[in-house]
Amino acid sequence: MMNVKFLNPFVEAAFEVLKAETGFSLRRGDLGLEKGVYVTEDLTVILSLVGQVEGTVFYSMGMPTALALVSQMMASEVASLDPLAQSAVAELGNVITGRASVKLSHAGYESVISPPTLLLGAGARISTLDFPRLIVPLEFGGGQVTIHLALREGRGNVVRSGQLPTPPRPEV
Amino acid sequence: MNVNFLNPFVEAANEVLMAEMNVSTSRGPLSLHKSALTTDDVTVLISLVDQLQGVVLYGLSYDTALKFVSLMMGQEFREFDNLAQSGIAELGNVITGRATIKLAEAGYRTNISPPTLVSGRGVQISTLDFPRLVVPLQTSLGDLTVHLAVREASPDTRGGNFIPLAVNGAGQ
Repeated sequence: MMNVKFLNPFVEAAFEVLKAETGFSLRRGDLGLEKGVYVTEDLTVILSLVGQVEGTVFYSMGMPTALALVSQMMASEVASLDPLAQSAVAELGNVITGRASVKLSHAGYESVISPPTLLLGAGARISTLDFPRLIVPLEFGGGQVTIHLALREGRGNVVRSGQLPTPPRPEV
Repeated sequence: MNVNFLNPFVEAANEVLMAEMNVSTSRGPLSLHKSALTTDDVTVLISLVDQLQGVVLYGLSYDTALKFVSLMMGQEFREFDNLAQSGIAELGNVITGRATIKLAEAGYRTNISPPTLVSGRGVQISTLDFPRLVVPLQTSLGDLTVHLAVREASPDTRGGNFIPLAVNGAGQ
């Protein structure tokens, strides 16, 4: 079962990052839980977490929202999502997730995040398989970004194999 | 991008396809892409973190995916339903897991995320500033294409919460 306690760090991080990078103040919409596939919006940033919390987070948005965000970040009107603008949107996802993972580690869940992958194109179907997804839309003047969280407590942890405690030597 | 990182994935795919469905693979021509990948019917996406970071994608057609799961599970699949999706995602998981063991033997410690499945042809997946090595593995049931976009983590980001997107020149 998806754990709601993982949600707040992402919502807080998104609020903080979008405020700092774009000046937009967010409003949190209604929380949802989905088990089926996610049918993509125009843009989806995908990042994974590995460690004491593991799974995948998506940030999805329509093209007008992406352009509004990038225009604010770059302080100039961006009319099309060229590679630089794509990179900016992905970076936004990266920074939000990084910040959320710091908050998660404060709560006792260490994790490492993957670099972002960007999915362009509406209508693809993404499945997180047996991970149910918590969905929270974040609304602001320029549009809406939706966070999809498919996370669970990890079996793995980030203890390096070289740091694993060696079992005590058996007595002979 | 180091071509040596690809071999463990090719070997692992070879071994797993042989073990799971007794299908032999032959390696097609290798290519390097910097632009976004345009998806085939089914794409399994798995992130890598730690000493290598990036993403590996396995692309295949519905037809091939159905033949694979039919052999893996010993019953005929005609539809790419949840069980079939889970089977294909697991295939990606097992290949990647096996590849990371080989990478560890070569001195690169990595950890992998749970798989994410993208269904739908023609979506663009961008790995941003990570160039992709692409190798089709040809089998009698169709092609399984491996896309690898990874780089060595720089020592200061290794295991950290933030993975900067634009490390100058890295991965080029």
